[in-house]
Amino acid sequence: MKRGRSPKQRLLALGHGVILFLACLVVLVPLAYLVINSVKLPREFLTVPPTILPTQVTFEHYGELFEDNKTFRHFRNSLTVTLWTTGVTIITGTLAAYGLARMRLSAKILAAVTFIFLFIRFYPRVTTVIPFFLVMRELDLLDTVWAIIIGQLGITIPFVTWLMLVVFQDLPAEIEEAAVVDGASVWQRFWRVVLPIVMPSVSAAAILTAFLSWNEFLIASSVARRKASVLSIAVAGFVSDKGIQWGPMAAMSVVMIVPMIVFALFAQKYLIRGITFGAVKG
Amino acid sequence: MNSSWHRRHDLPWLVLFVIPAFVIVVAVQFYPLAYSAFLSVQDWVLTESQVPKGFVGLENFVKELSDEIFRRSVRNSVLITAGALVLEMFLGVCLAYLTMGSSWRMRSIRTLLILPMVIAPVAAGTLWRILLNSRAGLVNHLLSLIGIKGPEWLASPDWAIVSVILLDTWQWTPFVLLVVGAAIASIPDDLLEVAAIDGASRWKTFLYIELPLLMPLLLLTFVFRMLESLLSLDSIYSLTNGGPGYSTYTLTYYIYTLGLRSFDFGGAAASSWLFMIFATFSIGLVFWYQRKDW
Amino acid sequence: MKKALLLLLIIGLLPVGALAQDMPHAGVEIVTNFMQSGTYDVGAEQLEPGFEEMTGIELEIVASPFVVLVQNNITDLTTGTGEFDVISGDFWIGSVWGQMHPLDDFIERDMWGGSFIEGLTKQGPSAYFDGKRIGIPYSADAYGLIYRTDIFEEAGISADWETWDDYIAALGKLAMHLEGTDIAPNVFAFGASEQAAAIFLGMYDGYLVDSMGNYALDHDKAIAALNQLKSLLDYNPEGATGLSIDEANSVFLTGKAATMICWVSFVRAAAQDPDSSLVVDNWATARFPGPGFPFLSAWNLFISGYSENPDAAWEWIKHYITEDEAKRRFVELGVGSPFLSTYEDPDLIEKYGHDFPAMVENLNRAETVPWIFAAFEVFFRHMSEFIIDAATAEETLARTLADWAELEVPEGLVQSAAAQGQMQEG
Repeated sequence: MKRGRSPKQRLLALGHGVILFLACLVVLVPLAYLVINSVKLPREFLTVPPTILPTQVTFEHYGELFEDNKTFRHFRNSLTVTLWTTGVTIITGTLAAYGLARMRLSAKILAAVTFIFLFIRFYPRVTTVIPFFLVMRELDLLDTVWAIIIGQLGITIPFVTWLMLVVFQDLPAEIEEAAVVDGASVWQRFWRVVLPIVMPSVSAAAILTAFLSWNEFLIASSVARRKASVLSIAVAGFVSDKGIQWGPMAAMSVVMIVPMIVFALFAQKYLIRGITFGAVKG
Repeated sequence: MNSSWHRRHDLPWLVLFVIPAFVIVVAVQFYPLAYSAFLSVQDWVLTESQVPKGFVGLENFVKELSDEIFRRSVRNSVLITAGALVLEMFLGVCLAYLTMGSSWRMRSIRTLLILPMVIAPVAAGTLWRILLNSRAGLVNHLLSLIGIKGPEWLASPDWAIVSVILLDTWQWTPFVLLVVGAAIASIPDDLLEVAAIDGASRWKTFLYIELPLLMPLLLLTFVFRMLESLLSLDSIYSLTNGGPGYSTYTLTYYIYTLGLRSFDFGGAAASSWLFMIFATFSIGLVFWYQRKDW
Repeated sequence: MKKALLLLLIIGLLPVGALAQDMPHAGVEIVTNFMQSGTYDVGAEQLEPGFEEMTGIELEIVASPFVVLVQNNITDLTTGTGEFDVISGDFWIGSVWGQMHPLDDFIERDMWGGSFIEGLTKQGPSAYFDGKRIGIPYSADAYGLIYRTDIFEEAGISADWETWDDYIAALGKLAMHLEGTDIAPNVFAFGASEQAAAIFLGMYDGYLVDSMGNYALDHDKAIAALNQLKSLLDYNPEGATGLSIDEANSVFLTGKAATMICWVSFVRAAAQDPDSSLVVDNWATARFPGPGFPFLSAWNLFISGYSENPDAAWEWIKHYITEDEAKRRFVELGVGSPFLSTYEDPDLIEKYGHDFPAMVENLNRAETVPWIFAAFEVFFRHMSEFIIDAATAEETLARTLADWAELEVPEGLVQSAAAQGQMQEG
């Protein structure tokens, strides 16, 4: 940009900057307000006009949370559920997608399989929650993280299989041909040749799965009671039949959001590289 | 090389790859789904009877379709989803173009802009409930600073719908931005350069070269967001609780209340399957559009 | 003081080891549930170690958010899962009252009782099924009305209303007195739409279940009550239809309203705390007007009919529901006590003299409703459309009755309605 810019270009650049600045504000202000609320005194919650800068910063809400050993348990459970769900989903989903993509099934069968997977992904979970509860009871898994993990896998595996199927189908066959000539087995081809290429997509799928699993509420609340309770249930717990405990709820939300934000910042690179899922062909 | 030999040789491996996912999905989803199909033709309200009262044919479906509140829920769902989708697709695509590039600044802005989608919907709903509060909320306070008297966001039927749309847009525009941004980045530069040499304007390049390339992905994103938005429950639950009255009572909210709070399993299952007919149709549309791929 | 307590504790614990053979339930595991609220559940957790030490019973406390608790209880009992031995609930779980373990034999055997507020021991506030007692209340809060003593004195108005007509007449006088100030005569959380049912029930003195045992309302009385309910809006601050419970409370606590209709236990402590209130010592609880009743929130403890250890479950109920514990929970956690002794405690009277007499009277008159969740949901949503002018009173009533026609009243709630005089005669 060494050349001088015309007034029109400068105006455009200015507009560009202003729009992006506004967009950032729209994202940041609510988040900042949440953090502010988590360190506000209770009496400053519903003032008119709203208290933007608290007269006094208090960490009592966080203190209460961390004094309560349930918070640690919720955190640990959420982490366990997310790690297992993501791990199992990615391994089985990616393998299944590769298998389906390379089976040379007829187009109709493949379309049918994909369709069923998507169907399962978008079925309103509310109605399957009770049957699922009964199955978990029979298996003696109620109030265990395993029940939550199993329930979430039913949603995440079809989703990831479908995403990865699109990726594998768009992968040119030539890439594997050399390996086939060398006599490499399917497993070797998958592991050495294909996987490194699609790794960005796998990472993106993993990140999306992790978000979904960490924030999931319905399945968790139907099978978890005490030992297996997770953060999303804990946040909802501050809403009672007689009102809302704003301070602790804000603090708990922050505790729940921070790990995901850190994770998002860390994983952002993979998300953007991997998320096209091959849907655009050059 | 004999490809049919290879095919036979590979097949057992490939089947082995598919089995784990297949087994888990069938084990976890098949029984509940089949059970809900069974329930949709049964008369069963858990608070009235411990076991299904018997086969009623399509009565549950007829009852739901003629139910005033069911119809209002569908109407609300359509309004909310349509409003949110228009905003999300438009803003998402615009922002994707405005944040193009790999400079440090653009990457940071992109990262920042995708943050809302990592927040738990329960927490996001509650956060916006504080922000949109008509008296003590930040939004109306900021509006008053520029001389606008903010509306009763959550207490008026129309504004409550707008509030739900705003929340959905705030939380999920980032998803569109993310997908479209990545797609734009993967469009080969030489295509655009050729267009530039031909003297095509930026707008024409977008319309005739980029948009057709992006179309399959945009459609996919559209359907995906549409179904997700129709299914969203936690955020509406914590933002408006379906109110005031039935103003933001959506189809998913209806199914939730019917199933898990009124325990009318037959009605809830029938409503779910009605939703699925619509979802099937939408997914079918994407398949039809992409049929050349199959 | 602390040392003395410690000493007492050690002395108290000493015999426990020696008398281990006297713990008939040692090693038994029971599960009890509570609403996750930072009050009832915390009160239980505080008792857990002592209870386990004393009885050898292994206690597990499950605390869930309100809706999840109700959902869990109903699914657990109707599917016969038997996950919970001791269950927290009230009329919301009326559909599963038939699956509860009767408590009469336990009560008789142990000659158990206490100075419960009389109204709370009756059927309704206490859960009964087929004439047998199945639940015991451990909390009590009646919908109430609080007012600013200083403003009333200035205006020369006394808070001695009998009916809502009297009360609304008083609001009229207040409106004249307060003209030109930013203080509203009344504030209520109209935005928390499920709350307005409580005022409706105070204004309505007709039946809730008809002679056929179905959900119903007396047409004329219901219409009159709906219109009267809406007339309160004239005395509320602008934008009252959007006020949540917390916001309405804060309007009163910041001195911007002369009266407030509310759950008293939710403001009692905050109103006397100079950090959060500008009305310290300037408020009192008044009689909740008639001819209807104050809506009652009284959590009961039940023993599940599927419990394998009902005796151990009873031990826990006896341990949790005592006069001393109720008083302690009132003082430390703000839980409304079901025992008269709490309200007659000299120390507490000194602190809450402005509150207790009317509170006890309201609790004595308070009733529960025979509504399952679906019935309540239909009612409050239609009523909320009426409040925001999206439906007329006639439409509201007609729609409510039409939706109610689809619902069955569970047997336990029919009995409870009959016992509380909420059934249509004839």
